[in-house]
Amino acid sequence: MPRGLKSGPLAFVWTTTFRLALVYAVLFALFSAGMLAYFYTATVGAMRSETIVRLESELQTLAVAWNSGGPERLEQSLLERAFVRVRDFTYQFETGAGDIIIGDLPRMPVDTSTVLAEPQSVTFEIERARPGGDPNISTIEGRILRLGDGSILLVGIKMDERIMLVSRVTRAVATAAPIGIILALIGGYFSSRYAARRAEGLSRIAEAVMGGDLSQRADIGETGDEFDRLSERLNAMLTRLERLMASTRHAGEAIAHDLRSPLSRLRNRLEATMSLPLDKETAEDTLEQTIVEIDQLLATFNAILRLSRVNEASTAKFSMVNLSELAEEMAELFEPACEDSELSFSAQISPDIGICGDRALLAQAVSNILDNSIKYTPPGGEIALELSRGSDGLSIMVRDSGPGISVDDRDRVKQRFVRLDEARTQPGSGLGLALVDAVAELHHGKLVLGSSVQDDPGSGLLVTLKLP
Amino acid sequence: MHILVIEDDREHSEFIENVLTGAGHSVESVGQGDEGLLRARSKDFDALIVDRMLPEKSGLRMVQEFRSGGGVTPALFLSALSEVDHRVEGLEAGGDDYLAKPFAPAELIARVEALGRRHSQNETPVTILKVGDLEMDLLARKVVREDTIIDLQPREFKLLEFLMRHAGQTVTRTMLLEKVWNYHFDPQTNVIDVHISRLRSKIDKEFDRQLLQTVRGAGYCLEG
Repeated sequence: MPRGLKSGPLAFVWTTTFRLALVYAVLFALFSAGMLAYFYTATVGAMRSETIVRLESELQTLAVAWNSGGPERLEQSLLERAFVRVRDFTYQFETGAGDIIIGDLPRMPVDTSTVLAEPQSVTFEIERARPGGDPNISTIEGRILRLGDGSILLVGIKMDERIMLVSRVTRAVATAAPIGIILALIGGYFSSRYAARRAEGLSRIAEAVMGGDLSQRADIGETGDEFDRLSERLNAMLTRLERLMASTRHAGEAIAHDLRSPLSRLRNRLEATMSLPLDKETAEDTLEQTIVEIDQLLATFNAILRLSRVNEASTAKFSMVNLSELAEEMAELFEPACEDSELSFSAQISPDIGICGDRALLAQAVSNILDNSIKYTPPGGEIALELSRGSDGLSIMVRDSGPGISVDDRDRVKQRFVRLDEARTQPGSGLGLALVDAVAELHHGKLVLGSSVQDDPGSGLLVTLKLP
Repeated sequence: MHILVIEDDREHSEFIENVLTGAGHSVESVGQGDEGLLRARSKDFDALIVDRMLPEKSGLRMVQEFRSGGGVTPALFLSALSEVDHRVEGLEAGGDDYLAKPFAPAELIARVEALGRRHSQNETPVTILKVGDLEMDLLARKVVREDTIIDLQPREFKLLEFLMRHAGQTVTRTMLLEKVWNYHFDPQTNVIDVHISRLRSKIDKEFDRQLLQTVRGAGYCLEG
């Protein structure tokens, strides 16, 4: 197992997804706490100060009543208030000695010994018995004041319902936050398990491929998520790789096969010559034939090398190539050869067509196509080279009046070393069109085989090198 | 010709040595770029054959240093890399020709001999080329043989000019395609032969002495 990869039941902890979930959970917790703190101070704080203002003003009103009419007047005011049905305030008025003058409470709820002439804030709780239940406990916020004759006045107010509500909400959120965090972690766990499982699947494929099994493919889900896209790419890559491997293997076998017969022929001839009495003429004949055959073998090797060179070539070294000029020169180069083979040759080349590409390879491609046509077109036939620019790019076309290639064989002849039976009698490596195909691919173009007259394979071959 | 071969592969260097001595040249070989540079500077060779891939100092750098030190001996690069851009790189580094492995012995001999000739020509501009009774006026672009004016197409003229400049030497089909057509590829058919036979019918057909000879298994030779 590669360094850094963990296994076992806690493996998910090391996945990116889980660590992200963890980070988000922590962030969520911090954010919730901050939000609660703000919410609490903003609402509860505001309400409390509003309550205190109301308390204060009530206390002052009563103090004014005492000032203007003494204890009697104050008592009168408190009595009046006692008849209001719905009221917020709780009152308690006692003498300095602690005797209740008038009040809502059975006794003073706070220690009065330290109460001064300036109003003070106090907080206390009162119990109200409820029928058939637990006593209702209310928190009371109060202001207390010692009046001029030493008596004590307390005004209290029950904590606002809204504050209670806020407290409840706060408590609810505070309870919910850990649940959220736990949910985040559970979500993180499952999504990281999913990610880990998919990644594990992909790395298993990679391992199998490293082990030499190219037939493995990654599963593709239906969601089309990034894992599915990655798997698709991986599968496409593997398919291409598999095809390349197969074609390399095929090429290797084909090379061996194609080279073995001329080599054994060569060997047999030399052996046969050796058994003869050697005169100068026989020796020269044999040597000459041998050299011709060896040259053909070398040509095949060169074609193989060239083909692999094209397959490995990059477009980095492309330069502007005047295709019209190249086609003209190819026409000029091949025209005598056509004439020599009793073929009439014509060229129709549009001027000023340029392409970014590899001049030598393009020339080789055109030359291979023309070579083919000359080889397979019987005497008296014709060959036409055409370069034109159409709406879908450039086309280099070579049309001949030879036997053509049947529709079924058209794809096959582009492969390496594929030679149709009809071609066995002609010298050749079976690499010509494979090279053209490779050159076309390198230039992002296409090699298309057709017939000189549409849908009539017997009318001759039409080879089109389509370039962008 | 006196030729220096700089090639690290012993077997290959022996092969080159055999081919060239077989063709009547004297050969010295070394296996390293530094040593090659030293030898090339200390003696007057007619041509250098340099493998591009040498251990330590590459053939490319060796020739570059040789040129910047004032060395003029023509150099032929040998390389397994036959890509055209490598060829261009080689020529830019100061090489005069480029031959990809594997090559036919005849090809090597023809190219080396062509190099040596260039060296001895010493850059004097020539306006008249003469091979036997065949005469080419490069300025008037006129070819005459025994007072008969021979009418040539531009490409035929170029082809004949190249053959005349290398009169007495074997030139290969690949060399002709490279130097006359400026293309670096292998034609599968006999395109060059057909051009040669056309040229031959123009310069030799009416005459007793045949100047343009076919060298079996190698190429052509124009001889006066």
